[in-house]
Amino acid sequence: MKSNQEPDQDERLRAVLREWVVDAPLAPRFQDQVWQRIARAEAPSASSFWAGLVRLVEVVLPRPRIALLYVAALLVLGVAAGSVTAQIKSRHLDATLSAHYVQSVDPYRADSSQP
Amino acid sequence: MKKGGLILLLGLLLCIAGFSGFYYLGTAPCRNMMHEAQPELAWLKKEFGLSDTAFARITALHEAYMPQCAERCRVTEQQNRKLKDLLARDSTVTPEIQTLLTERARNRAQCEAEMLKHFQEVSRAMPPEQGRRYLAWVQAQTVLRPQAMESRHKMGSGRHLMETPHM
Repeated sequence: MKSNQEPDQDERLRAVLREWVVDAPLAPRFQDQVWQRIARAEAPSASSFWAGLVRLVEVVLPRPRIALLYVAALLVLGVAAGSVTAQIKSRHLDATLSAHYVQSVDPYRADSSQP
Repeated sequence: MKKGGLILLLGLLLCIAGFSGFYYLGTAPCRNMMHEAQPELAWLKKEFGLSDTAFARITALHEAYMPQCAERCRVTEQQNRKLKDLLARDSTVTPEIQTLLTERARNRAQCEAEMLKHFQEVSRAMPPEQGRRYLAWVQAQTVLRPQAMESRHKMGSGRHLMETPHM
């Protein structure tokens, strides 16, 4: 970029700047505040996480192979969770009914377990 | 975003549908059992793989046994009440209390004998292998089950008392 100022004015400005002394005191804890601002600027913000997530949904998910994998994985997860939960529920009910049977035939028994 | 969001939603919907469908199918036999008139007998049918004929026979045996069982329960309850009254009145074991305890024990013995007879009849109404399995299970759950009294006298059960330091 070409300067439009005169060369002698430029020289005078440099001379003034060399002589300039800052005698105003720094604000209390100035250095700490500067380092805190640097740390804040460098730390990954929550907004960058959401931006990443949005980018994942916008850019990565619509790719056919990724979309197919995602949908299949969630379907398998749902089916597996449903089957396991149903098995647990059935076992619990079996145990309850077997206990009811024992209690119905034996008045002295208050509890029982499965065969 | 629109296409990606739709895929995201589709995945979640399929996950929910898969869960609900398999949960519904997996618990259908249990739900059917619970709708039977006697769910515990329906469980017996399922657990021991009984045919309809065997199940009908076992249901009949069960229904014949239950009123007798209820009558014995009524007698036991009467004896318990009477014993409670006698114990509240006397602080020693009187001949009347002794007689009542004997009657009560006799009633319990008869109850257990009738129970065993019923179990044996039920087991005979089942296919032989299932009958043996039923008999072993039901006896272990009822009359042959270890009682608290027996477990008190098992070896080592009182060791912690021996180890208690004397004051």
